[in-house]
Amino acid sequence: MYDLIILGGGPAGAAAGVYAARKKIKTLLIAENFGGQAVIAAEIKNFIGFKSISGIEMAKRLEEHVRDQESIEIKNGRKATSITKQDNFFIVKTDKDETFETKAVLLTLGSSPKKLKVDGEEKFEGKGVFYCSTCDAPLMKNKIAAVVGGGNSGFYAVLDLLPYASKIYVLEYGDSFRADPVYIDQAKQSGKIEFITMAAIREIFGDNFVKGLKYQDRNSEEIKELKIEGIFVSIGYQANSDLVKNLAEINQNGKVIVDCKTQKTTCEGIWAAGDVSDVLYNQINIAIGDAIKAVLNIYQHLKSQS
Amino acid sequence: MVKIYSTPTCPYCEMTKEYFKEKGVNYEDYDVSVDDKAREEMIAKSQQMGVPVIDIDGKIIIGFNQPEIDKALGL
Repeated sequence: MYDLIILGGGPAGAAAGVYAARKKIKTLLIAENFGGQAVIAAEIKNFIGFKSISGIEMAKRLEEHVRDQESIEIKNGRKATSITKQDNFFIVKTDKDETFETKAVLLTLGSSPKKLKVDGEEKFEGKGVFYCSTCDAPLMKNKIAAVVGGGNSGFYAVLDLLPYASKIYVLEYGDSFRADPVYIDQAKQSGKIEFITMAAIREIFGDNFVKGLKYQDRNSEEIKELKIEGIFVSIGYQANSDLVKNLAEINQNGKVIVDCKTQKTTCEGIWAAGDVSDVLYNQINIAIGDAIKAVLNIYQHLKSQS
Repeated sequence: MVKIYSTPTCPYCEMTKEYFKEKGVNYEDYDVSVDDKAREEMIAKSQQMGVPVIDIDGKIIIGFNQPEIDKALGL
């Protein structure tokens, strides 16, 4: 039986690991990998103590720092698939068919790109449906691509695609683009972009790979088709709160509600910190601070139990 | 023989290569953003287009999946 299981290896999870070790809490950290979403940032300029650091470098340092704590057990390359509450402990299961018992759980699972939830999206993931333009934009060399989402992250995808794609459609659900004008201008100047507003994506189709998409023009209600070979989904992020949705209270945006002084969720024995929680600002520095707050409170809680 | 199909901007590709270096694994790196032949080869092998794709003696792994990589390398 562990005292604490930390789920997630982003900045919050790593910070929690370091603090749990210093408090000698018997801890297991389960993470798919280290760094979380910040990994894909080319440059982070507001991580305090570093004038500039790449996402990868930061991930490496987080991992090093946690692994330096001898008393923390780490299981990476896997993810938790369920948390079950017993009388006064929890059972955590993973996708490697492992089962662990713990007195406390700290959820630091961050968030993931939001999905469109349309037919074909899941089927063609990696086969033309992409969520990481930094990674996969070069695969669109001389191909026609679409970007869904007209905010800044959508336009980052457009800028990633510009050197490669022959044509790019940018589809936005609303009636205007929310991205900073500087990005929109940059995209316009390329001459290979077609902007489409009031577009609701309905279906992604193809054979082995994506061949096109269907969207509904929200003005005319007409269904239209675009022949494309890649679709980059950039419609925001979704908190990875599924594991506790039947245990703790989740807000309307899917984030785990926490007490901001202690990071306690509404389920006794479960804490949450970072982007998975209903924290107001999604910042690495804040996620780290909140995770530390959680561990210090968990330490008090465990002490009061023993 | 270890091959990695990557793009220069992809962080998970970078992490995979770093991991190989750390473990002293020799690998051949194919930049699919410029190497058209390698890109086709990668898509044919993995039946998908996301990077990185890792080929360890014919065992195809998609993404930086450390446990799968360890298994294929016998680490």
